[in-house]
Amino acid sequence: MTFTARGLAACLLVVATTGVAAAQDAETQGITDKEIRIGMFGPFGGPAYLYGKISMNGAEAVFDKVNESGGVHGRKLVLVREDDGCRAEGAIGAVKKLAYESKVFALMGGACSNSTVAARPEIERAGIPFILNSATADSITDPPAKNIFSTQTTGSGESRAQLDFAIKKGAKKIALVAMKDAWGMSRYTPLMKYLEDKNVKLVENLELAGDAVDATPQALKLKASGADAVILVLYPKPAAVMMRDALKLGYNPMWLGNSTISDLKAFGAQVGLPGALDHFVTISSTRFDPSDPKLKAWDDRIKKLFPNDELSPFNFYGLGSALVLVEVLNRVGPQPTRTKFLNELGKLKDFKSEAYFGPITCNAPTSHQCNQNPGWFAWKNDKLVEIQ
Amino acid sequence: MMYFSYLFATGLTTGAIYALVALGIVVVYRATNVVNFAHGEMFMLAGFMAWSAHVTFGLSYLSALALAVLGAFVLSIVMYRYAFKPLMALRDPNPILLVMIGLSFVLKGAARDVWGGKGDYLTFPPLVSPEPMQFAGIMIMSQQLVVLVAALLVMAVLLLLLRYTRAGKFMQATADNAKAARLVGLRIDRVYMYTFGVGAAVAAISAVLMAPLTLLNPDMGFALFIKGFAAAVLGGLSSIAGAIVGGLILGVAEQMAAGYIETGLQEVAAFVVIVLVLIFIPNGLFGTKVARRV
Repeated sequence: MTFTARGLAACLLVVATTGVAAAQDAETQGITDKEIRIGMFGPFGGPAYLYGKISMNGAEAVFDKVNESGGVHGRKLVLVREDDGCRAEGAIGAVKKLAYESKVFALMGGACSNSTVAARPEIERAGIPFILNSATADSITDPPAKNIFSTQTTGSGESRAQLDFAIKKGAKKIALVAMKDAWGMSRYTPLMKYLEDKNVKLVENLELAGDAVDATPQALKLKASGADAVILVLYPKPAAVMMRDALKLGYNPMWLGNSTISDLKAFGAQVGLPGALDHFVTISSTRFDPSDPKLKAWDDRIKKLFPNDELSPFNFYGLGSALVLVEVLNRVGPQPTRTKFLNELGKLKDFKSEAYFGPITCNAPTSHQCNQNPGWFAWKNDKLVEIQ
Repeated sequence: MMYFSYLFATGLTTGAIYALVALGIVVVYRATNVVNFAHGEMFMLAGFMAWSAHVTFGLSYLSALALAVLGAFVLSIVMYRYAFKPLMALRDPNPILLVMIGLSFVLKGAARDVWGGKGDYLTFPPLVSPEPMQFAGIMIMSQQLVVLVAALLVMAVLLLLLRYTRAGKFMQATADNAKAARLVGLRIDRVYMYTFGVGAAVAAISAVLMAPLTLLNPDMGFALFIKGFAAAVLGGLSSIAGAIVGGLILGVAEQMAAGYIETGLQEVAAFVVIVLVLIFIPNGLFGTKVARRV
């Protein structure tokens, strides 16, 4: 009996010791004396690769710069990329691989809303700090999970901002053109609710597919409705097709874009008609102005690392989150742990960087949506102009 | 009237492009009994090749068109020689289909590597003034008119080529009966190869015609392939005339459904038409029933 009790106690001690050791391991996983491994997941190919691969290239540029100047508290930053193919099962697999096989310290990325929503339970289970930088679905960060933070705006927030902006600018007849896929619906549904709250009736509520090559019926209907403001819940390509077909008909109201249309120079070229962006304004979480000399250094670094890239807002998604990550790691000090990292990230206030329009503030534990300050921009005389 | 005419003209223009894509699919299918699932990617690649020639290297539109056609022709011949020909001997369509699907992903990835990283969507400069023209109460874009006329011209040339040239007759003979064609001494391997080439060349022409009307991106091929395939099925899959009529019907149906019923129907209208046609005319509009001796 005594033997059994001793044996049991010994077993419990072993289990407890192993458990503590495992917890300690998890706290400092991915950290050695020389490096800190950071994982990033998103699509390497497919239509959403801009939010995956290109965003990762932005993060890599930040790590390159930090490593060039000695790293964070002497440790080099190493980026471990995983392709999630913008698919739910891909994102879950990528998170598992990064957390348990590559054993990274923290995660960044999350290019596609659907896949990142699906991966949220796995990220929570792994307890790994995650900075979301591209996807805008509210449900990734609301309700807050203790280890998930976002430096990107949210879909519902953008929808409200679009309507508020139209009203503020005196629009009397407001129309909507929306994609009705999962991304579009995550914005469309809160927008419908907000329209009801504001007692605003749309003069046209139209649909355009993400891979549309023609928007003639939509353009004719918008023109006939006489809408003076058109809210676009569209990706850049269908938005360009929409505006181009409307402009051909001589119809050019106030167009209200969203954060996916934040490379205004490229977007103007895509619409491809004179005066294409004369009445176009858009929301952006990042401050991307290719004519800004302050961005030259990032442009050079991106070109050095990825000769086929041209600096774009999609680089900025990764660049911005990486700057936040580096700032938090610096604040944590030379002995980082996941708990310390999450505490510091949750306390981050008014962090300004060249990547984001507004300061980054995380109000843990009530809100982990750290980018509450998107800006409104227009493209005038080959320059990005902020609109109040 | 103006509303209808503009929708109709736009429908005819996009329909003509669908018809050209469908023609490329049908030409290959008739000769080889294989639906080329990489056809859309050939369309996409040709668009990008023309973009590079026209925008990056400043060549004229016609030179860019010629280069894209040549590039697509050569690439499809290489693909035939090294990917399809060894599998054609197996007489099993499944490996060929898998290789085509695989190749379509490879081509898409290659395009993204070469032309990606630049905002992903590239604009092809307009051919003529983008302003609409009006005559006799009908509104049409001059650009649409150019594309429509050019597409009809290409269709006519292709029909003449198939009907009156030696190469066209070889293709027709192989399509009608490959065994008999071989027995009379035709090198049907070579006929297959050139058929793939002609299919790709037609895809290239349609891509370069369509490029100024839309945006180029590495994923555009599949969407266009689906539309072209739908047009081909609607017309009867092995009928050249059917592909043309199927494409035009599809283009107009999309515009009318979106313009008069609901904009959400634009992308599905074409497929509703196909389902209805296949239910009521299973061989398509111009398809022939295969008679079987019992």
